[in-house]
Amino acid sequence: MANVTQKSPIKFIVAAVIIVATIAYLSFTGGRDNKSYYVTIGELQGMGNKAYTRHLRVAGNVAPGSIHRVGTNATFDLLEQGRKLSVVYQGSEPPPDTFKDDAQALAVGTYSRDGVFHATQLQAKCASKYAPAPASATPATTAAATLPATK
Amino acid sequence: MEQRTPTLRNVAWLWFGISIAVLAFGFRQAIFLVPTDAAQGNVGRIFYYHVPIAMLSLIFPYINFVASLFYLYWRRREPLKALTADALALATAEVTVVYSSICLLTGMLWARAVWGIWWTWDPRLTSMLLLWLLYVSYLMLRQFSSAGQTHTLAAVLSVFAAVDVPIVYMSIRWWRTQHPAPVFGGGPDSGVDPSMLPAFYWNLAGWTVWGICIVVFRFALERRRQFAEQEAALQAIEASLEIPQ
Repeated sequence: MANVTQKSPIKFIVAAVIIVATIAYLSFTGGRDNKSYYVTIGELQGMGNKAYTRHLRVAGNVAPGSIHRVGTNATFDLLEQGRKLSVVYQGSEPPPDTFKDDAQALAVGTYSRDGVFHATQLQAKCASKYAPAPASATPATTAAATLPATK
Repeated sequence: MEQRTPTLRNVAWLWFGISIAVLAFGFRQAIFLVPTDAAQGNVGRIFYYHVPIAMLSLIFPYINFVASLFYLYWRRREPLKALTADALALATAEVTVVYSSICLLTGMLWARAVWGIWWTWDPRLTSMLLLWLLYVSYLMLRQFSSAGQTHTLAAVLSVFAAVDVPIVYMSIRWWRTQHPAPVFGGGPDSGVDPSMLPAFYWNLAGWTVWGICIVVFRFALERRRQFAEQEAALQAIEASLEIPQ
């Protein structure tokens, strides 16, 4: 800097580096153990008593043929790596159109001690795959990506 | 002082025309020509808009970031170059706000259709909203700050705002999200069928050339404003010098 009396930018640069490093560190460590957006069925069943007291979002694939719709409500099973979770959905809105057999879905609600998950909200989750429907009329069920259970 | 020559003006109009043509062609590809997505149906065609625009709304902030660094470096050493960098930073920040707004809006429409919800606070959506807020606050700072340090403050804010850009990009790789995992360069169950790629590439090209078009236009406008300001300042100084004589 031309002017000696002027404030040195070093302090500012050090502060900036500290802030950026902190954010990077938090993102990185958060990346390894953040399971906050949803839990898998395996994690739900491994949570013990905590599973019954918290409002949760559970992810899984809708078991084919298990959906029974009653008005805007529905009951169905979620599957994930051989584990099954029965879900009773009671909400004011019907499930979205993408909510169908084999689709990835998130159920938001509470887990009761009888092993049934009571959902008040359903969210479909889309695969990151885009392909036209095959001519040989196989439903696009295989396109539903398996859940990243290891994350 | 830069003067717009007729050639430059013609190039600008040609570029504008090409942008419109590519966007129109991309629209035809995306809406009418490429096959319908098996899982999502026609709703999935918003992919050809949402994804290219989202990609660009993470690229323009970087130009803003680099321009802001140059501004900070040059502001005492070479003030005239610094002003050029500042004009580029302003232009790219405005385009970032436009593109990230479109990204958020198309995303919400799409989410409502395929997820069943307008919004959710997952890491991708939250970090993208944060990006939008950061660049809106950048523009607000430039607009309403009355201090003589506005350009410097804005450049510093831009450096911090840029931290959010890689977080937005990595959010779907680091964390569990409602938002789908990466479509390009993602896992085995990701990707776009080759028959659908033309629509994607044409729209990516279209929104890129259009984005560059508005950045350059906005940059030229800001340069003119700067020159007019300098001219006015110069005249004021000259006028003040004339009085005592």
